[in-house]
Amino acid sequence: MIYGGLVVLLFAAMLGSLTLGYRLYGLDQVWQALFAFDNSETAVVIANLRLPRAVIAPMVGAGLGIAGVLVQTLSRNRIASPDTLGLNAGASLAVVLASSAFGIGSLLGLSMAAALGALLTSFLVFAIAASAGGLSPIRIVLIGVTIAGLGHSLVEVILTTNEAQLQQLLFWLSGAFVDRPMALAQSGGPILLAGAIIAVLLARTLDALQADDVTATSIGVPLVVVRGASFLSVSLLTGASVAMAGPVGFVGLVVPHAARWLVGLRHDRLIPAAALIGAIYATVADIAARFVIYPVEAPVGAITAVVGGVVLLVLLKRRAA
Amino acid sequence: MTDNLSDSRIQVRDLSLDYGNVNVLKALSLPIARGKITVLAGPNGCGKSTLLRAIRRLHKPAAGAIFLEELDIARLNDKQLARQIGLLAQSPSAPGDMTVEELVRLGRYPHQSMLQPWSPGDSAALEKAMSGTGVTHLRSRRLGSLSGGQLQRVWIAMVLAQETDVVCLDEPVNHLDMAHQLDCLDLVRRLNREFGRTIVLVLHDLNLAARYADQLVFLRDGAIAASGTPEELMTEAGIRTVFDVRSMVITDPVHGRPLCIPLGTDTVLSA
Repeated sequence: MIYGGLVVLLFAAMLGSLTLGYRLYGLDQVWQALFAFDNSETAVVIANLRLPRAVIAPMVGAGLGIAGVLVQTLSRNRIASPDTLGLNAGASLAVVLASSAFGIGSLLGLSMAAALGALLTSFLVFAIAASAGGLSPIRIVLIGVTIAGLGHSLVEVILTTNEAQLQQLLFWLSGAFVDRPMALAQSGGPILLAGAIIAVLLARTLDALQADDVTATSIGVPLVVVRGASFLSVSLLTGASVAMAGPVGFVGLVVPHAARWLVGLRHDRLIPAAALIGAIYATVADIAARFVIYPVEAPVGAITAVVGGVVLLVLLKRRAA
Repeated sequence: MTDNLSDSRIQVRDLSLDYGNVNVLKALSLPIARGKITVLAGPNGCGKSTLLRAIRRLHKPAAGAIFLEELDIARLNDKQLARQIGLLAQSPSAPGDMTVEELVRLGRYPHQSMLQPWSPGDSAALEKAMSGTGVTHLRSRRLGSLSGGQLQRVWIAMVLAQETDVVCLDEPVNHLDMAHQLDCLDLVRRLNREFGRTIVLVLHDLNLAARYADQLVFLRDGAIAASGTPEELMTEAGIRTVFDVRSMVITDPVHGRPLCIPLGTDTVLSA
């Protein structure tokens, strides 16, 4: 029931993403552009500009939504997110490095660098935590936040010494769904899918991981293996998302809360719900980005950051109360 | 001290265990009786919780082994072991917005696998565990809304749902008031008497230990100081040796178990 409703909402949001914007199109024009392409200006705009973002936005939202659920469960911390683990920062640093040190300019090349950066960062966080005495949630988050800070400052340093690239990369670093080629969805899709499949397979074990370590161990959870697999899943999901849209902040923070509120704490329900809600959220945020400072477009990362910041404050206040 | 080796469910054999450089358990051997309540007691730092956790393989021994019948627990995989021995941690935690049913379900984890998802057998075990602990009516309540006594019942239900023959509980009544202490330990006794579970319990309170134990084990300095029935162990001399406390031991006029009235300490306890 709930999932059916979410699917309908997602479909409506995607249609909205195709029709709404600087120019408004009718459903007939969308239909014609997608299924009877006639090379008219309208058809070109819909097929080449609107369609990629109507596809990429929900993919990124779903990926970050699932990644957020995993990170919050792993760290037993409801205000954690892929950002907290330093994955966004790692991916951004990889993009900047790929561009400035290796001269990679193609969108696809930079995307791959982003995915790799997220993966390497998670291995780094995982390895430091393991060598510092164990994979306790709080230690992982502390190391993640430290790495994130380090990554961001390195990005700043590289960009300040390299002003020519600032303009080009700023667009990437703010996170957006606009002007992304369809090829990104094709390269990011399989990575995203792999991460999602791992997450679904881990669902029951993630339920057990919500309890403390001693309890989880005594009901038979192999903690190290499970944390490793979860990290891999989070890296794939976040890396693919950053590759497709840049670091879209706070999606992974907000979406799990909505999903839990709707379907409870069981991950076999939570993961699909978070995927759908994340997809809807990112798509709607992308539509909103077209109108908040109309006729200019705002970066969608700014929209999600404002919403996410407010939600974070509410959560912190509730926790303090 | 009577060790009926032929009817022990668990055999701890020459177990040594270290925390870093500190030797916590010293070549300790102990048979634990099948279908009985065994209570581990002793002064702070004697290693009783460590022993309990070692029995559940939460600590890796430096030497020695723990046997379930003739089976070395080191040879079992995580889920096999979790189907044999359950453990209620000293201060377990779960999210406050988790429901009672969601928590109790976790006990079924070792009985499931990727190829074997939730089954009618799991549902039956879940219902049995909740009704056996009297928490069925709380099933949709969130953990954060429960009282301390209710919460402890729910955790016991989770361990019960695991359907292990051996159930270990690490100081289960620590944070409870007197009524809930008795309520909780009566429930533990029911797990033993009605569900036939072998219970290993760490308890601080000597009189509670004497009241509920079939087999009482005193530990001191990482070794077994004494093991036997409460009547055998709860003597003025025995308590003085293990706890450094002078006491008077009388027979509880209601339950017929030994009752210790502490008089004073032998040594000056330094802070």
